[in-house]
Amino acid sequence: MNQRNVRVIIRFTSMNQNNGNKELFLLDYITNFFFDFSSELYFILDENFRFKEVNKTFKTTLGYEEQELIGRDALNFIYPEDTLSFESLKKEVNTEDKNYKIRLLKKDGKVTWLEWKVKKEKELVLVSAKDFSSQKETEDELLLRNKELEQEKAKVDAMLINIGDGVIGINEGGEIAYVNPQAQMILGFTDQELLGKTLIHYLKLENEKGEEVPIGSIPIHAALLSKRKVIESRYSYIKKDGTKLPVAITATPVVLHDLVIGGVNVFRDITKEREVDRMKTEFISLASHQLRTPLSAMKWFSELLMDSKSNLTIEQIQLLENIYQSNERMIELVNALLNISRIESGRIIIEPVPTDLIELINQVILELQLKVKEKDIKLAVSAHELLPKINIDPKLIRHVYMNLLTNSIKYTQHGGEIIVIISRSGGEIISQVSDNGYGIPKSQQGQVFQKFFRADNILKVETDGTGLGLYLIKAIVDSSGGKIWFKSEEGQGSTFWFSLPIAGTPPKKGEVSIDT
Amino acid sequence: MVIEDEELLLEAITKKLKLEGFEVVSCTQATQALEYLKTLQELPDVIWLDYYLPDMNGLEFMDKLRQVSDWSKIPVVVISNSASPQKVEAMLKWGASKYLLKAEHRLGDLVNIIKEFTKGGDNHDG
Repeated sequence: MNQRNVRVIIRFTSMNQNNGNKELFLLDYITNFFFDFSSELYFILDENFRFKEVNKTFKTTLGYEEQELIGRDALNFIYPEDTLSFESLKKEVNTEDKNYKIRLLKKDGKVTWLEWKVKKEKELVLVSAKDFSSQKETEDELLLRNKELEQEKAKVDAMLINIGDGVIGINEGGEIAYVNPQAQMILGFTDQELLGKTLIHYLKLENEKGEEVPIGSIPIHAALLSKRKVIESRYSYIKKDGTKLPVAITATPVVLHDLVIGGVNVFRDITKEREVDRMKTEFISLASHQLRTPLSAMKWFSELLMDSKSNLTIEQIQLLENIYQSNERMIELVNALLNISRIESGRIIIEPVPTDLIELINQVILELQLKVKEKDIKLAVSAHELLPKINIDPKLIRHVYMNLLTNSIKYTQHGGEIIVIISRSGGEIISQVSDNGYGIPKSQQGQVFQKFFRADNILKVETDGTGLGLYLIKAIVDSSGGKIWFKSEEGQGSTFWFSLPIAGTPPKKGEVSIDT
Repeated sequence: MVIEDEELLLEAITKKLKLEGFEVVSCTQATQALEYLKTLQELPDVIWLDYYLPDMNGLEFMDKLRQVSDWSKIPVVVISNSASPQKVEAMLKWGASKYLLKAEHRLGDLVNIIKEFTKGGDNHDG
């Protein structure tokens, strides 16, 4: 019998025995000590399973006073769900020592999980119980968390398996730790072949020129080093069968507490996009070639005809001149359409060089000198003397000045005035072109930068125009990092402004430029 | 020598050049032009070259021209319908003297440019 559980027994039995009193006293003291100071719950039930004695830990754990327990049936304190266990304990206790997990109700209504060790000693039932509520709580919480994680994993798995993009996850050592089915399908490798391999060495990437991409430029490598997402759509993966696969790659580092613990490499097959892109380029080139050939023929033949003026009547010369001018308009329209399709395709090259804007506008004005003189227009340029050169693409910005000035000349009466002002404002250089011409009706000012828009009032005075100029230069200014805006009053004139960042325009690789 | 596959354009160019007093060898294909170069008594003063030709493009033609040292000295003016920056850059690098856009220029202007490359074009009276 366990010494700790025997205080009462000893007390009862000692009276019937004639052992030495001193020895009994010491034993009594020790058992009392263990009974009272143990961290386990000790309690003694009588033959009817009523509380006979409980220790301190029992009272503090369950919150009852001694008088609330002693003499009462233990069943009253059993958690209802565990009554059956308690009943079997009652039956079994006569024949065997056994452990039970039976919950007791605390005074505050809560439940204590107890592991009972039970021993029947004569008419008494001795119980040593261990409180494992907190352990149970942790266990439950873990179970719940596990279940949640399981559900979460099922969701993520479903997404990764069904997503159209290839996904390859790597660990901090750059080894492939996950491959979704799409990635396997796109690349032709199985997950067994890929798992554990170093991604940047195992899967070969080629650039547009068919050269192997150097390690420093591999998106996932760059992403892990910079701790930033890297997007790249100019490379091709080499599939297992050796063929090339153009892909758009998004490489993202997995960062935990500022440490890179892995990465995710997501990619998608862009064969079709590249093909469409190539076809678009081809179409533009083909269209420019095909449309320009007959236009050139008409231009040159009417020119040849006009060369032999002596054989023509004045009226015939005039008719010929009309044909020539209409053809010129057609050429202009084709050029404008080509420029628009180029800029809309995003394939325009931007080649910034340090440019003196005043010099640029003076060149444009020189080209327009004839038209200015024809209409007897007063043109003044005013610019801040200390304007810095800025990094912009002069071919593109020249187009903006040319268009704004041509518009001003076209839509200003004979003898009108045009003022050009270039100034600096904060981090920007503002160019302003004002005229005292026909202006734009208020009701149509919202459409000024729309494709093919021409205001009603100028359609009557000037039939020549494509309605594409302002649309195009807005696209140019936007892609140069600037803004364009205007103010206009019908009959009073218009002022257009556009800004360019002093910091300049970042260069952009492309395939085409304006006016080719 | 004028190499232009569009017959109407070739006709206009030839007519104009003749009016201006040039002797003109007209070709619609690059291979034809190369054949002429082999047989001509006197090499042309300048070649007017369209970039896109049925049998080869301008770059390929320049390559052929460069293989014969006498031919490589003939100035080539490329007059084309399309002039992407890469094309222009490549052609100038391969020895073309000028790259011009057809529809942008009057025939008269183009002929004036051609004149600059002939040894005093006026002496070439038919």
